[in-house]
Amino acid sequence: MPAIEFDHVVKRFGDAVALNDVSLSVDSGSFVTIIGSSGCGKTTLLKLANALVMPDEGQVLVHGSATTEADPIELRRTIGYVIQGSVLFPHLTVEQNIAYVPSLLNRRDQRRTESAVDKWIGLLGLPSNLRDRYPAELSGGQAQRVGIARALAASPDILLADEPFSAVDAITRASLQDEIKRIHNQTGVTTLFVTHDIDEALDLGEKVMVMEAGRVVQYASPHDVLANPASGFVERLVARKRSVYAR
Amino acid sequence: MIESMFSLLIEKRDWFIDLLLQHIAISLVSIALAAIIGLALGIAIAQWRRGAKPVLALVNFIYTIPSIALFGFLIPLTGIGDLNAVTALTIYALLPMVRNTYTGLTAIDPAIIEAARGMGSTDRQTLYRIELPLAAPVIMSGIRNMATMTIALAGIASFIGAGGLGVAIYRGITTNNLAMTLAGSVLIAALAIVVDLLLGLAEKRARRHLEPSPSTVRAKKLRRGGRAVAAVAASVVLIAGGTFAYAKFAEDNGGGTIDIATKPMTEQYILSEMLKTLIEHDTDLSVQITQGIGGGTYNIHTGMERGDFDLYPEYTGTAWTTVLKREEFYDESMFDELRQAYEDRFGFEWICEYGFNNTFGIAVRKDVAERYGLHTYSDLAAVAPELTFGAQPDFYDREDGYPGLQATYGMDFGTTADMDISLKFQALFDGQVDAITMSTTDGQVTDERLVVLEDDRHFYPSYRCYDIVRRDTLEAHPELQDVLLKLDGAISDADMARMNGAVEMEGREPKDVADAFLSERGLV
Repeated sequence: MPAIEFDHVVKRFGDAVALNDVSLSVDSGSFVTIIGSSGCGKTTLLKLANALVMPDEGQVLVHGSATTEADPIELRRTIGYVIQGSVLFPHLTVEQNIAYVPSLLNRRDQRRTESAVDKWIGLLGLPSNLRDRYPAELSGGQAQRVGIARALAASPDILLADEPFSAVDAITRASLQDEIKRIHNQTGVTTLFVTHDIDEALDLGEKVMVMEAGRVVQYASPHDVLANPASGFVERLVARKRSVYAR
Repeated sequence: MIESMFSLLIEKRDWFIDLLLQHIAISLVSIALAAIIGLALGIAIAQWRRGAKPVLALVNFIYTIPSIALFGFLIPLTGIGDLNAVTALTIYALLPMVRNTYTGLTAIDPAIIEAARGMGSTDRQTLYRIELPLAAPVIMSGIRNMATMTIALAGIASFIGAGGLGVAIYRGITTNNLAMTLAGSVLIAALAIVVDLLLGLAEKRARRHLEPSPSTVRAKKLRRGGRAVAAVAASVVLIAGGTFAYAKFAEDNGGGTIDIATKPMTEQYILSEMLKTLIEHDTDLSVQITQGIGGGTYNIHTGMERGDFDLYPEYTGTAWTTVLKREEFYDESMFDELRQAYEDRFGFEWICEYGFNNTFGIAVRKDVAERYGLHTYSDLAAVAPELTFGAQPDFYDREDGYPGLQATYGMDFGTTADMDISLKFQALFDGQVDAITMSTTDGQVTDERLVVLEDDRHFYPSYRCYDIVRRDTLEAHPELQDVLLKLDGAISDADMARMNGAVEMEGREPKDVADAFLSERGLV
């Protein structure tokens, strides 16, 4: 069964059509990157998966059941969510940030929460002296790692990431990309990763979804996207990349 | 002055400690109520944004009502005293609470709230775990503001009969005892500073994520410390509230207590102390005096009608015009009509005519009198446009006050100034005003620096002093009547002026003066 399915989904905000008849499915355990220019509906697509946005037409199925039928709170607790700039809770320490979702789930079982925190601090290579720091005391790269650890701490089987690395410098971004790839390999968490950086999309994704004006214009492996661009828009997007590869 | 303040504080420390505790109770209960209600309102309008504008406009409007007026508006609902004070203070304190809660909640980055929701927080979890903690620094500064403001404002609450340190301030003002006024003010300021410092610590805690310190005395310890602070604060409020409620209950229970109200005048303080001593000496009843109710007759009469008070000293002419709202000027031939009207309309009895007539007079500074050759009101009316006149605010509204003077003598002063009864003489001697109203029993009447003018057209009505008593009080305690009548005809104008002078100029306690008079006359 696919982890997420979009079935003829239409979403409007007022007169603007954010998503126009989108149908596709995301395989369990896969890493899908979503790319497109600003306002093409990438973020809306992501928020449909965790019921922050509900479809106007069609339906979104997560593990086979429609988001409109499910309890949105329960659903979201099984889906990790990382947002642009990480958006850690500024009043909570690193430890408390990572423990946020586990503490919503197992209120009584503090030990389970603590062991989840330990595990993810280790997996993301965060030095343990950061545990009691506040987000304001972290570097951009550290904050981003904490953001990922927070999203994954409750061991979800889907991870939604909305341009998580857009605000960090190139060197930090490269190491974060390695990190998320490694974590994906280790955990097999189904990942939907929005980016506006074509390099990132092609490097990370097992499949790349190219969006333009509310439609998915191509949904294929990075190789296929490079080799057979489905439209002029995709062509332009990958042109520079191809010349680099050709060299 | 500072020295005499300290010696007064030491000498009357029990009284001041009592007032301080009352002040703490009134303000803390108001602060706690306003914090709870304001927080709830702020949260509600932050969720339901369409309600924000009207709610904020309303609390803003209430905030602009002058405090004395708000205390006055509430009298018919809450009566006079602590309940009135707590209600008014709570209402005032709402604005900073509601506004800061709303601002704090709406200023949070929407991305943070979306992150919290996206991770599966319920609305309640988002509010308690994310929004309120993030808004806490703004809310705390609102609480801090509001607490200092409430403590200061609680001083004014004493003007309408509530307890607290304002009692010392007002008593100091009305009996010309500046050391007492200063002592009350200093204690209020000290209390405000201490509370502000304590809340400052709490505010710092709420802000700690904004200014993290490098030292690693961290979250867990602090969290525990914070809980301890919160627990201590909560128990202080509970204890204060409990004591306060108990004290109110103890005060109100049983019919064995006679509640006496007084206007903010030295004379009435002395009379009430005489009544207390006499009643407690001759009967098993105990007496509770509420001294110096601002607004005088209007507010005390309302309190009498509600049964907050059992009796108070009143003047015939004042009752005639202010309470019965009669147009014609009062003279003592109308007393039976006055007495009958009180019985029929309110169920109040007039008993015990003290024997003095506290009528108005006009005094001018001696140099002014000599410069213009002033002897009578008619003389004064001729030069009034060049002079400044000072009187307590209600004088300008009363038919037997300034409007009457204008009608009878054509007396139109160049400038008129509002001033509290007991500040008038100082203003006259300092040259801030040239003429003042005074009363025939003022202690300062004999001062050489002033000249009392003659009412040549007999404008002023008669104001003979009586006790007004609720009929049901007399029925419940028939023994009261004989006690009250002991003072019938006992005090002349000169006696009263002398006793007022003893308090206002010699700085003696009203109670001492009252008791000395009673024993001098062999009444106790």
